[in-house]
Amino acid sequence: MGDNKLFKRALVSAICTLSFAVAGTANAVDWLMLQGTEPEAASAPVKVWGFIQTDYQRDFSPAGPAGVYATPKLLGPNLNSQSGFNISKVRFGARGTGFPIDDHINYFLLIELGNNGITASSSSTGAGTAVLGSTVARLTDASITMNYIPGARIRTGLFKYPGAEEGLQGFMLADYIDFSEATNAMLLERFPNAQYTTNMTPSTPAQFQTTGGTLNGFNAPVGAFRDTGIQVFDSFDMGKDWALSYAAMVGQGSGIQFNNVDGKYDTYLYLSTEKNLGGAGLYANGLKFFAWNQSGLRMADVTNDSIADPKFYKRDRSGLGVKYMAKPYRVAAEYITANGMIFEGPDKPSFYFAVPPNAANLVNNGATAKANGWYLDGGWYIPNTKWELDVRYDTLDANTGLADEHKFNKWTLGTQFHFNPMTKVIVNYEMRDFKCTGAGVVAAGVNTCSGTANGNLSGVGNKLGVQLTAAF
Amino acid sequence: MLNNFRSFFLVMISLFIVTVATPALSADDAIFADYKYVLQISDMDPFKQELILNNASNLLEAYPPGAVEVEIVAYGPGLRLLFAENVNAQRIDSLFQSGVKFSACGVTLKGMTKQLGYEPKINPDAKVVSGGIVRIGDLVRKGYVYIRP
Repeated sequence: MGDNKLFKRALVSAICTLSFAVAGTANAVDWLMLQGTEPEAASAPVKVWGFIQTDYQRDFSPAGPAGVYATPKLLGPNLNSQSGFNISKVRFGARGTGFPIDDHINYFLLIELGNNGITASSSSTGAGTAVLGSTVARLTDASITMNYIPGARIRTGLFKYPGAEEGLQGFMLADYIDFSEATNAMLLERFPNAQYTTNMTPSTPAQFQTTGGTLNGFNAPVGAFRDTGIQVFDSFDMGKDWALSYAAMVGQGSGIQFNNVDGKYDTYLYLSTEKNLGGAGLYANGLKFFAWNQSGLRMADVTNDSIADPKFYKRDRSGLGVKYMAKPYRVAAEYITANGMIFEGPDKPSFYFAVPPNAANLVNNGATAKANGWYLDGGWYIPNTKWELDVRYDTLDANTGLADEHKFNKWTLGTQFHFNPMTKVIVNYEMRDFKCTGAGVVAAGVNTCSGTANGNLSGVGNKLGVQLTAAF
Repeated sequence: MLNNFRSFFLVMISLFIVTVATPALSADDAIFADYKYVLQISDMDPFKQELILNNASNLLEAYPPGAVEVEIVAYGPGLRLLFAENVNAQRIDSLFQSGVKFSACGVTLKGMTKQLGYEPKINPDAKVVSGGIVRIGDLVRKGYVYIRP
């Protein structure tokens, strides 16, 4: 039995036991409850809310061979420059209890208008033509929660699926500008194009200017840690300030695309336990342990044979984590594993990292590869000030055991200044060490891993970012 | 002998009346409190729920023990504060234990029952009164200071 099946069975058993063993609900401090429910008998029919994030980023990586820049050296989502300002997120929505004297039903609505992977053009038709940021707005959340069955609230629609902390948390509370490499590569899903799409090659600044080019080869918007489906969930008061929460969901596995792209469904399981250490809501102190699993299939055509022959590949993800938050200290860690559909980079839409695409042998393709990664994060709120100091180490091992196995390690040093609970500025300095560590294969006399890939990766350097977030 | 018996009977009756009637007056009309406040909540706004509970807490803290009587009267959309499942129920109970009274409007309750098809469960710490505004009027007439946060 595979690790994923064992993990999933353990999670299912724990969730079933919990559902039958525990009576009564509690307002546990967790994302499932904060995003999926409203305060009982105390919610507005329409609460308008949202946030704006603007940032300036500068990537200090030098050009690679022949003066070209690979995607890790460029700023997303447009991937055509190394410095610039961006309106990275503009989210605007409403939530509440439509008929306020009836707490059984609440809703959650959110729209994205910023320039990021979510707002990719829906009219794109092929590699290099996906114009990120060209869509004015995209619906990211539209869900209804039915609170009729004790211990089994039902949420349906488009919303964040239960999973890793970095994806599930409210982004306006994120402590870093960029995701960890593990979350970016394994969880922020990029969906396969309808047909095989050639890898894009690193470009020179002149090429970016003359072609107006972008190195993003994916046509669909990123998954944004969301899916359309139905979720059963609740939180239970265990006494002594401990709460247990669970969620089980079936979704289309299509991210923020409304249609069931491949006709298959994903399953999601989540279990967490948290001790409240004071406060409530978004800013509560607590100690949380969590575990999650998601499993599904993706249809992709990754064979370079000029034939439209998409096949199904499994996509399984699992994770375990802990988060401790009791001001002035914060410590968080999470370990994530992935099996299948490993994202290799925005310029690699057919999931080939370094080994040349081929027609038959998929042994070195991300569609059938494995990966794992983790992060360790610490924060210190300087007493009697509005300043916070942060440091995070994260690592990703992708295409594990394959010829083009690669390891991305990153240190992020950060500071945050909290003007008030709704407004803050983050300054991050990233130090990155990206390497292709596999044996590679020799193509045209050059080793694909130590030669070609590392030619582009060895120069991936430090990156500075300043981000201002204002929520309302 | 008869006079003595009559006197004894009158004393006993008087004691009975004092014993029985005094707590009732004390509980209902707070005749011994130096300061009396009636707080009204009739808004939909959830922030008003927290605000009115904060007001009650602050009033209790502002005066010596027993010197202030506070009653919160909820009607209209504000009646949600006194729904049994209200997220502030624990705090309401704490205030109730400290002497704050809660009155739920019976007219509003009847209207909501009609809309919902069932009667919403009211917080056991609250007393259902015939009408919220009538209750406020009665308390004001008895010297309560009227506050609408």
